[in-house]
Amino acid sequence: MTTEFLWQLPTSGDGRYGNSKQERRGERSSSRHPYSDGVTDPRGLNFNYFDYLHQVARAAELAGFEGIRIPEDINGDEPWIVAGYVARGSRHLKLLTEFDASRGSSVYAAKNTVSYQRFTDGRFAWQISAGGNEQHRRSLGDFVADDEIIPRIEEFVTVARGVLTQSPYTFKGKYFEVLNGGFQGALSNQKVPAVYLSGNSPEALALSAKTADVHIFDAASVDEIKQKIDHLRAIASQHGRQIGFGLRIDIIARETEQEAIFDAYRAWQQSDKKSGSHAPSINNNLWAGLATDITGADATLVGGYEQVTQALVEYAAAGVTSFLLSSIPHFEEAYRLGEYVLPAVRARIGHDQQRRAA
Amino acid sequence: MTIDVFWRIPTHGEPSSHRNRIPHRGDWFPGDDSKAQSGSVGKGSDGANYIDYIAEIAHAAEISGFQGGLIPSFPMTDEPWVISSLLARETTSFRFMIPFQPGFLNPVVAARMTASLQRATGGRALYNIITGGGGPAQLWWGDSATHDDRYGRTTEFLDVLKGVWNGGPFSYQGKFYQVEDAGLADPLSQEDYPEIYFSGSSDAALGSASKHADYYLTWLEPFDQLREKFDRVKSRTQILGRKIKCAIRVDIIARPTEEEAWAEIEKGFNSLSREALDKFQNPDGSDSVGAARQRGNRPTTINSYKDLIIEPNVWSGFSLLRGGQTNGIVGSYEQVAERLDELVALGADAFILASTPHLEEAYRVGEEVLPLLRGKTDTAILRAVG
Repeated sequence: MTTEFLWQLPTSGDGRYGNSKQERRGERSSSRHPYSDGVTDPRGLNFNYFDYLHQVARAAELAGFEGIRIPEDINGDEPWIVAGYVARGSRHLKLLTEFDASRGSSVYAAKNTVSYQRFTDGRFAWQISAGGNEQHRRSLGDFVADDEIIPRIEEFVTVARGVLTQSPYTFKGKYFEVLNGGFQGALSNQKVPAVYLSGNSPEALALSAKTADVHIFDAASVDEIKQKIDHLRAIASQHGRQIGFGLRIDIIARETEQEAIFDAYRAWQQSDKKSGSHAPSINNNLWAGLATDITGADATLVGGYEQVTQALVEYAAAGVTSFLLSSIPHFEEAYRLGEYVLPAVRARIGHDQQRRAA
Repeated sequence: MTIDVFWRIPTHGEPSSHRNRIPHRGDWFPGDDSKAQSGSVGKGSDGANYIDYIAEIAHAAEISGFQGGLIPSFPMTDEPWVISSLLARETTSFRFMIPFQPGFLNPVVAARMTASLQRATGGRALYNIITGGGGPAQLWWGDSATHDDRYGRTTEFLDVLKGVWNGGPFSYQGKFYQVEDAGLADPLSQEDYPEIYFSGSSDAALGSASKHADYYLTWLEPFDQLREKFDRVKSRTQILGRKIKCAIRVDIIARPTEEEAWAEIEKGFNSLSREALDKFQNPDGSDSVGAARQRGNRPTTINSYKDLIIEPNVWSGFSLLRGGQTNGIVGSYEQVAERLDELVALGADAFILASTPHLEEAYRVGEEVLPLLRGKTDTAILRAVG
């Protein structure tokens, strides 16, 4: 299985600071003028945050990422619309679009996906998440109980794959139903979107073993990730399946470790995370509790380019095949990682794989 | 007050003329949705695909003076949300009229999608809310609600959408939808609420439209029927203390002379197979009231294209020549403009026009017909003077 690097699109704001939510880059509004009255601002309302998101997507493509992850954040823009918006400005980016199974009819999601695949040459992919806690879900009009989340995701994927690959297709489940469904002619035989799932519960892992193309783990030490991967790989093989393993991790990479540590502390001081909590816990180069609200991973890899490169190579050796990376500001950091880290990681992973094959 | 004129996007491919289904643009097989074709517009070896052709039509509509376009959604078409988001960045004035059925999307998700599309386009998204259709076709989409239930659901859906739009907190206990402390987050909550064009001909539909629609949208029907329908919609809405406008979705064939326009129809009609005519007269089942109303205006035997002329310059056989609804206006540029102005006089406030092929005809209609339209100019001036 080849290794892929996906860059995160900051759907709910981005900027130079750890608290970038307050400084949503590119956001234009008539009530907030960043310039003093003595300076002309030529931009007016002609640009907004979408122009910036487009530029981040372009940066990911030009810097050599295989794709972008478009996260669902209730404070930000809606991922399916964002995916469409950046689709025609990119040529090869995989568009990994996050949503949860309460978004509506699975058939409708599949039908929209058919058009995305037709228009992007099959670059659309799904990350289906559990959604927030019950209170949060109710604010989204979703009243199912916690223990129904996983079964509903399973039905959602089953029905979507059914109508995408068969016609007529009929299914009647607890959450979704379709009668003589499926796509014909020009709409048939479109690429079934890769399904990325996540979660640590036994139910979530069992579902991924049966259903996922890739299971995403939150950042943890290499040893922990290796254990989790080995465990899930074993369950998947009981179903006769091989799946990919994703790692969602933030990165602060600088030329030297000192610079990285300095910037990491500064970001921590600027972020919401610092209030009422102690300093991030640091284990080798992995800082837990540092990520900003914007990037959102469980931990951040902090270090010099060489250290970060080596850490990613170790995760790859542990079995990670999809790296879901993020760092603020996403535009500049996409280029930085694309230039200083990814080429070296790819070279060493390729070297390792050749050595194992030999 | 002025009238708004929209164009239409063919989301199902299209023939390059009314005369024959071949050549056909897009990868749909002409006349048979179970098959695909390759080698036409899009699907080329250069990586181009049908969205590139749609983009050209959107640009043509912008240049030719249309507000934007209706982007139809059916089981065999590409999808309007996708098309709108893909074309958001490369268009400047084109307004995306998105048809969808409330049962297909969670209303809070729909609100988020719409607000983001408004942000991405500078407020160019609007809805065509559809509730009709039904029967087995509805279960194809994964929707099991019955016909009258669906209108109740549409009303609730729009209640929730509107409730969360400006940020909330909004709570709602409906039969179909419940939310607790919902609301769009800033800055999504800063966007303008989309205009709503509402389709559906049944009584249940009119009730729902009266509460939420800005425009009541109908296909072209005989003019007297339309007058009666518009009066009914407007009076029902007035009872609720709201005002509603009316819009007509209509195909046109406009040529320098009437003879040339009918010659297009005649050639198209004469190229039809007997099977196509039989299917036209005995379509598959659906509980759409609008479709039944259109069929009700036709004679039982059809020997010539002339049998389908249901009143001056109105032909009732368009669905024979390309997919979609069936009544349209045929005539010289002047005649088409006059008929449209008559529709304005009997209550129309907006049009969604279409003609085949949509790319070139956008230019023709924009250049030759729209400048002849009087719209609501005269009455406004008279009122100002008198």
